[in-house]
Amino acid sequence: MKRVLVATIVAALAGGGFAAWSVAAPAGGATPTAKLPPLPAAIKQAKRWRIGVKCDTPPFGYIDLEGHNAGYDIQIAQWFSRFAFGRANRVTFTCVTTASRIPALTSGKIDLIIATMTFTHARAQTIDFSSPYYVATGRLLVPKSSSLRVGGALAGKTITTTGGSIYDRWVTKCFKNTKLLLFQSPTLALAALKDGRADGEMFDDSFVLGVATSDPDLKLTPDHFLRGPWGIGIVKGNKAMKKWVDSRLAILKRQNQFLKILKRNVNPTLFDAFKNNVPTPKRTLKYPATEEDELACG
Amino acid sequence: MTLAYDFQWSFIWENHSLLLQALWRTLEISLIAIAGSAVIGIVLGAARAARIPVVSQLTAVYVEVIRNTPILVQIFFIFFALPEIGITLPQFTAAWFSLMLWGGAFSVENFRAGFEAVPHEYREAGLALGFSRLRTFIHVTLPIGGRIALPASINTFSSVLKNSAIVGPAVAYGELTHTSFRILEATGRTFEIFFVLGVFYLVLVWSLSALIRLLEARLALPEEAR
Repeated sequence: MKRVLVATIVAALAGGGFAAWSVAAPAGGATPTAKLPPLPAAIKQAKRWRIGVKCDTPPFGYIDLEGHNAGYDIQIAQWFSRFAFGRANRVTFTCVTTASRIPALTSGKIDLIIATMTFTHARAQTIDFSSPYYVATGRLLVPKSSSLRVGGALAGKTITTTGGSIYDRWVTKCFKNTKLLLFQSPTLALAALKDGRADGEMFDDSFVLGVATSDPDLKLTPDHFLRGPWGIGIVKGNKAMKKWVDSRLAILKRQNQFLKILKRNVNPTLFDAFKNNVPTPKRTLKYPATEEDELACG
Repeated sequence: MTLAYDFQWSFIWENHSLLLQALWRTLEISLIAIAGSAVIGIVLGAARAARIPVVSQLTAVYVEVIRNTPILVQIFFIFFALPEIGITLPQFTAAWFSLMLWGGAFSVENFRAGFEAVPHEYREAGLALGFSRLRTFIHVTLPIGGRIALPASINTFSSVLKNSAIVGPAVAYGELTHTSFRILEATGRTFEIFFVLGVFYLVLVWSLSALIRLLEARLALPEEAR
């Protein structure tokens, strides 16, 4: 009798524990629904994700003080790991740069790019994009004393940004008399701005907002330009992968996880400036329909 | 997983004026740097070989610093650190200057070795004929030692040209590699752009080496020509 009682208690405890674990685990991962697209076979076989992320772009992808990958993009990757394998740590992060991320994907070194990548029609010829999971706005960072604004005043000025970025192409197309100083990372461009080599740095709000907040010598102009949605990079033509990624992003959107992830990653004083940049149950982001819309002047 | 890559070469042509300008810039910074490093190599190499006090020791420090630090660190120091103490070099200047500084250090060693390989009897003969030390160097040590240093210099000079690929992207100077990264980033055509880039460098470095070998053959010492 005693034995039966003990067994019952153990079973009850185990059952309770299991139930609690199920509740804590994300809906998509622990309770597989028949309707959701299945995990692509290659990933299932490898038993982990290989995801390319930025390592120098806080708060989206960076290395934290303990040496771990951290940020908004990293937490999305960890959600993918939960969805696929039931826990957050089944993912190997590879640091990629703006220049190396597409080659890393097309050469098969990584399964996905989650690295602050703006959708462009040109890139979409080489890789597939998931549905958008963030939208960045272009901002101009200038020295505190500067009166520079986006527009005609840019003529004869030097603007620094990263080579091949939408800002590079936009300035080349719309501000023909503006000189460009193009680096491989926004951090180097920032160093050039601080050295006085450029009159302003154009980049995603995600990067320059943090800089303007922490650096008393710099400020942002009130201009907002080139709203560019980011997507997750997928090997061209891998439909199973795209379906899986899009369906899981839809779950995160429905659960309003993007806003929660954002809140965990941005400085509380900057949260308001960022909060309209993520998809929510009520806000669906869209990619520009044509190449013209991507870089519309004025 | 499908890895079918559909090759598209048309964008190379669409960007041909940008690429040609970049090619010219690569040539420009490399040739200035090669000429400069040859001058540095001959002058400071001679100072090392002749053990001229102070200059020789300072040169040794310069050579050791450059040869034992990565070129990228040198470039970043010149481009991003010097402005902190008020020296802001424009991209073009920073590009050829850092290349020249790097090539110069290696050239010093090439020429020092060349000059030291000149048998001292030759120099003594020059001095015995009443030449000053400088004239002995110009008429005896340089023509012979310079030729001995040429094969090693081919290596150094082609490395200077190849290192322009590191310098350009680092200092935002639109030479071949910087421009290729820019086109790559805008188009995502990895294979095509790196293939074309590789061909460009192959032709450039091969032509440079061939030129110097031609020079070497023209200048061959009479006893070697036999």
